[in-house]
Amino acid sequence: MLQYIVKRLLGLVPTLLIVGVLVFLLVHLLPGDPARLAAGPDANPETVQLVRKDLGLDRPLPQQFLRFVAGALTGDFGKSMRTKRQVSTEIADRFAPTFWLTVCAMAWSVVFGMGIGIVSAVWRNRWPDRLGMTLAVSGISFPAFALGMVLMQVFAVQLNWLPTVGADTWKHYILPSLTLGAAVAAIMARFTRSSFVDILQEDFIRTARAKGLSEPVVVAKHALRNALIPVLTMMGLQFGFLLGGSIVVEVVFNWPGMGRLLVDAVDMRDYPVIQALVLLFSLEFILINLIVDVLYGLINPTIRFR
Amino acid sequence: MKPLFRPLAVGALVAAAFAAGPALAAKDVTFAVASTFTTTDPYDANDTLSQAMAKSFYEGLFGFDKDMKLIPVLAESYDVSKDGLVYTIKLKKGVKFHDGTDFKADAVKASFDRVTNPDNKLKRYALYSNIARTDVVDDATARITLKTPFSAFINNLAHPSGVIISPAALKQYGNKDIAFHPVGTGPFKFVEWKATDYLKVARFDGYWKKGYPKVDGITWKPVIDSNSRAAVMQTGEAQFTYPVPYEMAETLKAKPELDIVAAPSIIVRYLSMNTQQKPFDNPKVRQAINYAINKEAVAKVAFGGYATPADAIVPEGVEFSVKTGVWPYDVAKAKALLAEAGYPNGFETELWSAYNHTIAQKVTQVLQQQLQQVGIKTKITLLEAGQRVEKVESWQDPATAPVRLYYVGWSSSTGEADWALRPLLYSESWPPKLFNTAYYKSERVDGDIRNALLTTDKAEKAKLYKDAQETIYKDAPWAPLVTEKLLSANNKKLSGVYTMPDGSFNFTDVDLK
Repeated sequence: MLQYIVKRLLGLVPTLLIVGVLVFLLVHLLPGDPARLAAGPDANPETVQLVRKDLGLDRPLPQQFLRFVAGALTGDFGKSMRTKRQVSTEIADRFAPTFWLTVCAMAWSVVFGMGIGIVSAVWRNRWPDRLGMTLAVSGISFPAFALGMVLMQVFAVQLNWLPTVGADTWKHYILPSLTLGAAVAAIMARFTRSSFVDILQEDFIRTARAKGLSEPVVVAKHALRNALIPVLTMMGLQFGFLLGGSIVVEVVFNWPGMGRLLVDAVDMRDYPVIQALVLLFSLEFILINLIVDVLYGLINPTIRFR
Repeated sequence: MKPLFRPLAVGALVAAAFAAGPALAAKDVTFAVASTFTTTDPYDANDTLSQAMAKSFYEGLFGFDKDMKLIPVLAESYDVSKDGLVYTIKLKKGVKFHDGTDFKADAVKASFDRVTNPDNKLKRYALYSNIARTDVVDDATARITLKTPFSAFINNLAHPSGVIISPAALKQYGNKDIAFHPVGTGPFKFVEWKATDYLKVARFDGYWKKGYPKVDGITWKPVIDSNSRAAVMQTGEAQFTYPVPYEMAETLKAKPELDIVAAPSIIVRYLSMNTQQKPFDNPKVRQAINYAINKEAVAKVAFGGYATPADAIVPEGVEFSVKTGVWPYDVAKAKALLAEAGYPNGFETELWSAYNHTIAQKVTQVLQQQLQQVGIKTKITLLEAGQRVEKVESWQDPATAPVRLYYVGWSSSTGEADWALRPLLYSESWPPKLFNTAYYKSERVDGDIRNALLTTDKAEKAKLYKDAQETIYKDAPWAPLVTEKLLSANNKKLSGVYTMPDGSFNFTDVDLK
């Protein structure tokens, strides 16, 4: 298994390299001159030239690319064009808030989503199922920004129980993680339900029941494990998405996370930040996929790593 | 022996706590603003917000009061030589920087030498590049020599970017890092900047103006979403916010603890028409468009009533502004003019907006619908910042410029007519140089703008600017639409914070009950 992990990690290198080249080219293809944007609405052509030099954009493209690759290899992504701070500090400052928010949102939404999914599958087509699926459909269709605003209006403005914006204490995490997790919980519920419904019709479940096992044991022990594989895949995907920083939730709750950083960066054509962020997002996805693959093996020992 | 000390220590602690009593009731205020700060260095900032914030710790030789009137700040008085080239500035005495050093003429020299050196690559270079050199006459007198006469120079010094930085700090941190360690003479000292979250400043005890500042600190908190900004005002997490979205105004007005203020602005919104291209090369077409637009309706529908129909090219509040009047709304006349110009059935054209926010969307829709009434069919495109730069601001060849009708806005950050006219309507300001998106060229206006900069005589300047504005009104390269009102909210306990006509803030008198 260790060998497998090492092999997968080595496979990272070419993938990231390709992503790096693509993102560099795409970013430079975006319309709009970053020097002009950075110089601002009052600037004249001389100022734009000064800014262009300052940002290193006056060099030929291949040279810029070599600098980017050489820098990236040593972990130096340059300076943000907007704030002139190191890209690595910019991202480091924002990584933790987004990461913990994602963890919080995933934690509750997985527990609730799977709970609702299991209940719905076990009592299929009866009222717990209807209730659960109604909740799930509302969760998917209710837009996150509206949910966030409603939650903020009720719990922060009207009741004054929770703070509105920022990320300073644990209390700050409650509303954003609820907002962020709602859609995930809904997706998880639907996924768990359909996966469970299939499994519950399998032969081995009938066997387990025939053995005289109680229904809770059948569901929790025999069905759950087997139903978990597709659910886990979904979980990994959602986790990866959320780690990129949810733009909507971060804007509504003024969360100092990576989604807002990406929006700001794209607005100002902040090439170094966009490049580093896209690379980071790809890395996150690859790592999460790897973890998910390893977890498959733990859940179902019949899966072999090669 | 040891136990004996304990009561003593406790006593000391209690005493200390008592002594600290009054200080514990710290008067800290929080301002919720609409976007994150780009820098704390006003010379390297191009956004009004970062410059407004920097006034917490920096001051210039001159400045603007809350009504945009020019006032001396660190300067005592000034003299201009007859040829308009040499400015001798007397400085205030007894002013200290936050690092304890004295404010003297060498600080003026250091600050302006820094920005006028192109190697420092500062974004405000252009505003000061006309300075030939800065000299120290004595500790309390500085002399600035210009390359060419420029009668609006004192206004440039009053621009929020023209601040005096501590030479000692500049030496210690260098040209780049000064942005992370600002040291000025302002009422507040810089404390901490968490780029993602807030910027904090604290009272500077050695401030030269006695009795100021009246609060212990300010937290500048960027809150991007406008609903969230309204929420933090309602919960009391912030005491002041700008801008308040028009649709939130009524909700916030209903709160007894909040005041909503609609302040006049010098932000003018207009529709520029590419005068080098058919059919806008015909003045009759341009006048027809002016007649076809109901500015009242634009103000009501798009700005929620928080705007007034534009009655001048250079808005009121900017020095040398002249009221030319609102173009009357007259559909019949517009149609007649179009027919005279050879377009009895109207024509099709592009309508671009420099912004892609909701207000711009509403404005362009109202315009589209009104132009439709006179037979002009428009295709709306809301340009994203990058597109705007590519298709309008950086377009190299004026002859092929694709811009036709262009909705955009401007505010003269120096509070003077030159910066309200020259970048927008001077023939040498066509893109990509500056923002004459109408590609307007008039010998007469060019001459007025040029001559006004050469003369230091106020009456003469006023005459030239009046002529320029009246000529532009008649030529109609623009359809002036509205002058915005600036909507801010503050807690009733807070006083002395004003939104200035250019969207900056004045908080010299900030106090909290």
